[in-house]
Amino acid sequence: MGIEIRDVHKAFGSKEVLRGFSAEAHDGETLVILGGSGSGKSVTLKHIVGLLAPDRGEVWVDGLRVDELDREGLFELRRNVGYVFQFAALFDSMTVAENVGMGLKRLTGVSKEDRMRRVEECLERVDMVGYGERLPAELSGGQKKRVGIARAIATEPRYILYDEPTTGLDPMTRAVIDQLINRMKAELGVTGIVITHDMESAFRVADRFAMIHDGKQQFQGSPDEIRSSADPMVRAFIEGRPELIEEAE
Amino acid sequence: MVGLGQWGRMVWEAIVSLRDVDVWLGLTLRQLTRVGVDSVPIALFIAMFTGIVLALQASYTFTGAIPLYFVGVLVGKTMMLELGPVLTGLALSGRVGANISAELGTMRVTEQIDALETMAYPPVAYLVVPRVLAGIIMFPLVTALAIGVGIAAGWLTSLQLLDMSTYEFVYGLTLFFQPFDVTFAMVKTISFGFVVTSIGCFYGFRTRGGAEGVGRSTTQAVVVSSMVILVLDAFWAITLL
Ligand SMILES: Nc1ncnc2c1ncn2[C@@H]1O[C@H](COP(=O)(O)OP(=O)(O)OP(=O)(O)O)[C@@H](O)[C@H]1O
Ligand SMILES: [Mg+2]
Repeated sequence: MGIEIRDVHKAFGSKEVLRGFSAEAHDGETLVILGGSGSGKSVTLKHIVGLLAPDRGEVWVDGLRVDELDREGLFELRRNVGYVFQFAALFDSMTVAENVGMGLKRLTGVSKEDRMRRVEECLERVDMVGYGERLPAELSGGQKKRVGIARAIATEPRYILYDEPTTGLDPMTRAVIDQLINRMKAELGVTGIVITHDMESAFRVADRFAMIHDGKQQFQGSPDEIRSSADPMVRAFIEGRPELIEEAE
Repeated sequence: MVGLGQWGRMVWEAIVSLRDVDVWLGLTLRQLTRVGVDSVPIALFIAMFTGIVLALQASYTFTGAIPLYFVGVLVGKTMMLELGPVLTGLALSGRVGANISAELGTMRVTEQIDALETMAYPPVAYLVVPRVLAGIIMFPLVTALAIGVGIAAGWLTSLQLLDMSTYEFVYGLTLFFQPFDVTFAMVKTISFGFVVTSIGCFYGFRTRGGAEGVGRSTTQAVVVSSMVILVLDAFWAITLL
């Protein structure tokens, strides 16, 4: 049933971050959201799991209107959504393995052995085998990021939100993570939203693109459409050439 | 005033969250030891010196006009009714309250609390309930210890420095003792335990803006809970005595 963000407005005090942003991730597809730093990408993602509530507009996930769910409804929804935080947000009082196992612990009917097996499996997927007993403080930024991804996929959720999953990783690891994102989609039918600044990664994982600018949707379309877009804002962004915007003005 | 309402809402949510026993039970046990370990040394240190000073000041004030066994009365009553609970409460607002708000504040600004929510853990049941319960349970225990140590320090001082006998001191100690004194002290320290931990959680939860924000909410938690302790202290004296 996918994820749909409809005309969402969100301000913090007098700062209007989202001013009617819309985007859509179809069932079983990966949507990549592009946008400048501070444009509201992370804020958008937080609306999808109800960490933030829109001032105006609607957020739909799995056929449910998230911004009108009560507490119980939200928790029910969140069991089906994995969230990769931009800065990992690992629980720093717990080991890596405990972090990854947290979501599973919350599910009923998962034995301790199953949980530990699953944790190992997820650590393997992000190439972090052998780090289970470490504390987050003992990891590098990129390693934390990968543990954050392992934690998000551990419960095999049907929806996964990736906030800059490959930022700060080397090209090899980046490719591994991109493959992982595609595998989650292919094997488990995950509907995903990926925020990234890395165009190479973006084209590797995207079924669709949406671009946010000025709090609104600047573009939405397929990879082919974004490649052939004539919009100078879009071109400037994907080619990394800010001068295109000035030329257009 | 806005803060008071938000604090009230958090406390209410904590009460409602008591039904999520599976979430908070194990964590509460861990918090009990933490609050205890954090608190005992400082509380006993303060109580010991308070007991010594109380005994000396009492004998200085009485200057022979009043029988010496009144030193025992004064040390016992003051430690029990006032200084034991209040000084322990204030010391623990600096120790336990600051610790809680710094920890939860860091979790807030590093999005760990958001992460808990996305993994379907109710943050209030997971973080607030164990800490507040630990406060309500441990403050009375720590205060009882502190009262005991304070009185013992007063007694030793009387023996060593005031030429009193143990008989005189204990006679004074028990002369005006009423069982209600214990109830009164416990009511006070339970309320202080609740105030320090819930205010620590409250300021931790609403932390904004990085390391600086964590520092700010920690200071606020200590200042506000100390003031509330003193106000509550007067409130209990007015309503219960
Ligand atoms: N809780 C909040 N309170 C106040 N302002 C906020 C809050 N969260 C985000 N903002 C503001 O909203 C704006 C958008 O933030 P957001 O984190 O969504 O940016 P972003 O597009 O993810 O940027 P980046 O690519 O750098 O991560 C920023 O100006 C930020 O300061
Ligand atoms: Mg961001």
